[in-house]
Amino acid sequence: MSRLWSYIFRYRYRYARGIACLVATATLAMSIPWLLKQAVEGIEHGRPVDEIASTVLLIIGIALLQGVVRSFSRFLIFNVGRDIEYQLRNDLFAHLQTLSLSYYQRQPIGDLMSRLVNDVTAVRLLLGLGIINILNTPLYYVYAMAAMLAMDPVLTLLAIAPYPFMFLVVRAMSRQLMERTLNVQAGLADLSSRVQESVSGMPVVRAYVREAWQNGVFGTLNERFKTENIALSRLRGLFPPLMKGISGTGLLVVLWYGGSQVIAGRLSLGDLVAFMGYLHLLAWPTMAMGWLISLYQRGKAAMQRLEVIWQTQPDIVDGEGNGASRSGRTVRGEIGFRHVDFAYPTEDWRPGSRVGNGHAPDGRTVLHDITFTVPAGKTVGIVGRMGAGKSTLVHLLPRLFDVTRGAITIDGRDIRLFSLAELRRCIGFVPQDPFLFSARIQDNIAFSQSEADGDDVRRTAALASVDGEIEDFPKGYDTVIGERGMTLSGGQKQRLTLSRALLADTPILVLDCALSSVDVTTEGKILQALRTSTTEKTVLIISHRVSAIRDADFIVVLDAGRIVETGTHAELVERGSMYTELFQDQALEEELAEL
Amino acid sequence: MNQGQDEAALGKTYDLALLRRLWVYIRPYRATFIVALVCLPLTSACLLAQPYLLKLGVDWYIEQGDAAGLARIGLLFAAALLGEFLFFYAQFQATMLVAQRSLADLRRDLFTHVQELPASFFERTPVGRLVTRLTTDVDAINEAFSAGTLTIFMDVLTLVGIVVIMLSIDFRLAVVTLALLPPLLLILNFFRTRTRVTYRTIRERLARINAFLQETLSGIMVVQVFAQEPKMFAEFEQRNRAHRDANHLSNMYEASLFSIVEALSIISIALMLWYGAGQVGQGLVALGTLVAFIEYLQKFFVPIREFSTKYTTMQTAMTAVERVFQLLDTPVTITSPPEAHRPHEVAGRIDFEHVWFAYNEEEWVLRDVSFSVAPGESIALVGATGAGKTTISKLLNRFYDIQRGRILVDGVDIREWDMHALRRRVGVVLQDVFLFVGDVATNLSLGRTDLTLDDLQHAAQHVNAERFIRELPNGYHEHLHERGANLSAGQRQLLSFARALAYDPAILILDEATSSVDPESEVLIQDALTKLMQNRTTLVIAHRFSTIQNADRIIVLHKGRLREVGTHQALIAQRGIYWRLYQLQYAHTAGLSPAHTDGPVLEEL
Repeated sequence: MSRLWSYIFRYRYRYARGIACLVATATLAMSIPWLLKQAVEGIEHGRPVDEIASTVLLIIGIALLQGVVRSFSRFLIFNVGRDIEYQLRNDLFAHLQTLSLSYYQRQPIGDLMSRLVNDVTAVRLLLGLGIINILNTPLYYVYAMAAMLAMDPVLTLLAIAPYPFMFLVVRAMSRQLMERTLNVQAGLADLSSRVQESVSGMPVVRAYVREAWQNGVFGTLNERFKTENIALSRLRGLFPPLMKGISGTGLLVVLWYGGSQVIAGRLSLGDLVAFMGYLHLLAWPTMAMGWLISLYQRGKAAMQRLEVIWQTQPDIVDGEGNGASRSGRTVRGEIGFRHVDFAYPTEDWRPGSRVGNGHAPDGRTVLHDITFTVPAGKTVGIVGRMGAGKSTLVHLLPRLFDVTRGAITIDGRDIRLFSLAELRRCIGFVPQDPFLFSARIQDNIAFSQSEADGDDVRRTAALASVDGEIEDFPKGYDTVIGERGMTLSGGQKQRLTLSRALLADTPILVLDCALSSVDVTTEGKILQALRTSTTEKTVLIISHRVSAIRDADFIVVLDAGRIVETGTHAELVERGSMYTELFQDQALEEELAEL
Repeated sequence: MNQGQDEAALGKTYDLALLRRLWVYIRPYRATFIVALVCLPLTSACLLAQPYLLKLGVDWYIEQGDAAGLARIGLLFAAALLGEFLFFYAQFQATMLVAQRSLADLRRDLFTHVQELPASFFERTPVGRLVTRLTTDVDAINEAFSAGTLTIFMDVLTLVGIVVIMLSIDFRLAVVTLALLPPLLLILNFFRTRTRVTYRTIRERLARINAFLQETLSGIMVVQVFAQEPKMFAEFEQRNRAHRDANHLSNMYEASLFSIVEALSIISIALMLWYGAGQVGQGLVALGTLVAFIEYLQKFFVPIREFSTKYTTMQTAMTAVERVFQLLDTPVTITSPPEAHRPHEVAGRIDFEHVWFAYNEEEWVLRDVSFSVAPGESIALVGATGAGKTTISKLLNRFYDIQRGRILVDGVDIREWDMHALRRRVGVVLQDVFLFVGDVATNLSLGRTDLTLDDLQHAAQHVNAERFIRELPNGYHEHLHERGANLSAGQRQLLSFARALAYDPAILILDEATSSVDPESEVLIQDALTKLMQNRTTLVIAHRFSTIQNADRIIVLHKGRLREVGTHQALIAQRGIYWRLYQLQYAHTAGLSPAHTDGPVLEEL
């Protein structure tokens, strides 16, 4: 909670102003029943109309003043709540961006979304509405009790008797209410993902005529959601009549017992009017108080969950090179792996996360003693079976993960000595999974260089052989990806991600199975274009296709996390071991085709 | 989301036609609904009685000193309170029962309807929008019910009741008391339009924040690897700020409205006392009337404070109703004929007769395509991207209807077939394997209970999927993540083969995956494909050379036309399109297993 206090502290002056207005509002509001009492007593005792008129004018004046002060108190405090929400979201987002990939592998995105949306909202409610009510309720009670006790202590106790009861009931109910609300929300989330899945899987459902199955699955969730909703409304429906009922009971007491006191001459009718006024004013804060407890619990729990995110320290941070940046010198792009071992950092790593597709699931070492050097400007092909560690190997280069042992160097300098931004700006990375943002194609290609002009974008698109298809879209480079069923084929996506990396114009280029959905002819064309136009780039390329790597300056063959052989295509074929085994048939077909 | 549509929808918010359609869903529960409707005026009546009883108490008993009479009024007052409580609760529960039941029905109908919509619909509708229709939109209608929108009618009834009662107790005093009503209505109207706009802005901006977060966190690797964190932060901050600013504005409106209503309610009481003071002095107005009026005014302003919130909820709901019915109105264009063909046995003969097809009018994807496939024969469909291969696979099971010509299965036009009977006999293995969240067995059987685990194992074994399934920690009961994320691409393909085999279709359409998998899985897939194609009519959209080799005949499509038909050898000899395609593509990607490829290729050369 100390973090929460630091946010509140940052806005202390505005809170102070808001609270001052709140106190003023309460004081003014609480004076009104008292003034009404005087006016009614005046009428009761037949005082001159002028005297009553001055009281009435006072009431009107206070009402107007109160209106102004009240609106200030409310939007000052509500706005601070929104400001803190804004600040919290910014800070969380900035922090999340510093966390490394291993964090995202164990953290479902849906969870993080719920933290940043629902939990931040819960904190905001506590800081806005919560603060207003925390201060208002005692204030209202002090004023009202003082005034009512002064008039008639017995009537006060009788009339106020239902209020603690109301507080207890609301408190008990709001706990239940929260539970049921969460159930309903979870039910809605289940329905959403079911619909999402059914629609995505529609071709399969339809082809196998399994609509009835889907209807059944959906129907079960739908029924459960209905039942949960009914359970919720059973409770939710109690609040409004309960509130009315309890303040009505107070009124009944005033009428009955208070009335008899008037008959006995111990109270005036004006007193009754004042009592009624105070009871009205207390009803809402009492109710809010009961509900505030669950608001507080929710806010606190939310803050604790957010704290967990903050407590997560980024495990990959800037090297010492940060200060002594070598930005003056250009990176040539010589890459060295020196006795690199790597094991995934966490034991709860699960297969199928967004990186790679076949690592050992138990955090065991996936790379052993990897040593090789790529001279600047050379191309190295990396091959191996599924799960051999190829993808992992290239992920180490931009420090998406840090090596467990050994070191990776660029131009002979340990990559951990670079600042992260400096390091990553010299690597053009084309991942296996072609992720694009739902923005214009232009923006996607120019992702790393917002200032790049249309010519740059077109040039790199041409280099990736995707320019023709983009120009065929009605809106060309302004086509927004993902909008209105605007879908790209896997191959188009891959070529766009390649253009994006090329535009960054980095001395190093990494292709992680990056053209697997592109047909061989086009792939050949792209690789050829890359060779001729960027002789100075150092290229790391992973591929299952022999055609993609046969022209590499040398090839690294990985098996079970170890380098089993290296050499040029010709050398490896001649040696006739693992590499040949892997690509024997492909090579054979190629040679046949060339006959 | 479609901005224009939203705008238009808001324009005709109170479309009675929409409410009438909603009534269709409420109708089955009309008995409960009537209970709610009856309870509404009763709640109002109990509420309206209370201040009046107060007046009677003051005028008849307190002023007269009649304690016994006061007790009687007290009892009546208690009865009115109890009545208000019970009727309100009954009304709310009845409303919610009707709402939950009819909305569950509505959701069910929507879901069923969506499943029947033509494939073309899904091409132009993003999945997210459909999810919104079925969940968020239906929930907005629900919200309107549970936030007590029906009580708007009760509120109006109460407000009118209060005005009428006040006027009938004392006309002139009532007129003075209600003097501020017209300016109040003007103010309410002023805020109503503004809060509506800001409310919508807030929702849109929040949605933008969410979409941005979702996307950025999903693509965090790309952001980090390109060192674009500062840029993404700037974009996030801008969206976050826009949302905050809209909320600031809304807070100002809300605070002002709340304060103005609060102030006006006090001023009204003050005005009444001012005028009342003179009247009481002259004996024209009873003191009890003043007390009652104070209470009536308190009750008058309660619904007014809540009005703007309720109004917004109601509007959101009406927009949702419109959108939901729009979806329900989307026509189901592909249906079975009344006297549908539903044969017991299917041989598996396929005839395409002069088939013309376009997804969009006159942009022909298939032009005059004719061919026949004998039962049990396997055909490889070959052609460059965009030649129309995948389209053929979508036509045979009537995902789309053709514009000209006929497609016959076993000599019967597929439009005369019972659609489900047809699809049950035409199995499809898609390029992009879709797996449902659930265990392996469910993904193989797709919920069919007549398939035993034995059947599934048998199918899996046949297509080489058995081994890797066995190796999963829970075997056939292993839970698959969303889209089978915990399986490799090769494993997913093998599962889809097993799924097809378990259904044992007479005709199999296979859209081979283009993405390359590791050589080992490749061997298993090749072998499984060969087995799948045995003893059934098969149309393969082939990307692998070995698959083409295994087909009985090859059909070459080029720019929507059927250009060449024949065996591999014959087509190579022709030196036509197939020969060129072969040179360009298959020669590079040709399959791995020597057993399937070496022979014929070497022979041919």
